[in-house]
Amino acid sequence: MSVGTGILRVPSNIKKGEVFRVQMVITHPMTPPRRDPQTGQEVPPYTLTKLDLFFNDTLVSTINMGAGVSANPFIAISMVAQDNGVVKIVYEDNRGGKWEKTAELKVS
Amino acid sequence: MDRRSFILMGASAGLFALISPRYAFASSKLEEEVRKRVGVSLSQIQQSDQISINAPTIAESGANIPVTVESTIPAERVEHLWVFADKNPVPWITDVKITPANGQVYFSTRIKMGETSNVRAIMKLKDGSHIMNFKEVKVTAGGCG
Repeated sequence: MSVGTGILRVPSNIKKGEVFRVQMVITHPMTPPRRDPQTGQEVPPYTLTKLDLFFNDTLVSTINMGAGVSANPFIAISMVAQDNGVVKIVYEDNRGGKWEKTAELKVS
Repeated sequence: MDRRSFILMGASAGLFALISPRYAFASSKLEEEVRKRVGVSLSQIQQSDQISINAPTIAESGANIPVTVESTIPAERVEHLWVFADKNPVPWITDVKITPANGQVYFSTRIKMGETSNVRAIMKLKDGSHIMNFKEVKVTAGGCG
């Protein structure tokens, strides 16, 4: 998988007003700044920096991160099922990459 | 102060620095980072059982340690959550802005750790106070780089 590919999962069977967990996995190397052992040159970091979680275009959470998070980060966060709608994540890295991913939420 | 006590004082200070240079450096780095990110000094933050950190006691690899932070405090009263690993080259791992739409304080991710140290979660509440909790994770193989 290429860098920036994301998987976003929401439960399929929940009731209105319930608290559920949104889970996501993003493909990204998340390398810290380091020195190349052969050439001695500084290699800049390559990490995700920011992830926004939206529900129907209202901001729910903002997650800032750095090289301390493992490669191919897995994140789970809780959220209230207010209504039927779209859960969206928008994430960006320090080299200008910006991606988004959506998932449909159906409540009963 | 006479000359003798002055020399003794200098010698003992030097000895202390010699015994724990690494520890002293690491803790000051953490304090620096907490001040920069959270905005208050570490000693002012109260420890609280209202935050629970779920992480392995012994981690096989430092490259991938699952950490879950939960709290009994309702999300309406919480503003922000930070996660730190005390002895990492960059102690700050991640921070999360919490809103009432979260319903509950629950955050889970996987982190890297260079060596055995505490994983620390700090929460800022709506009334402006900060609370924290930590858990020690033993790392048998470091995961930085």
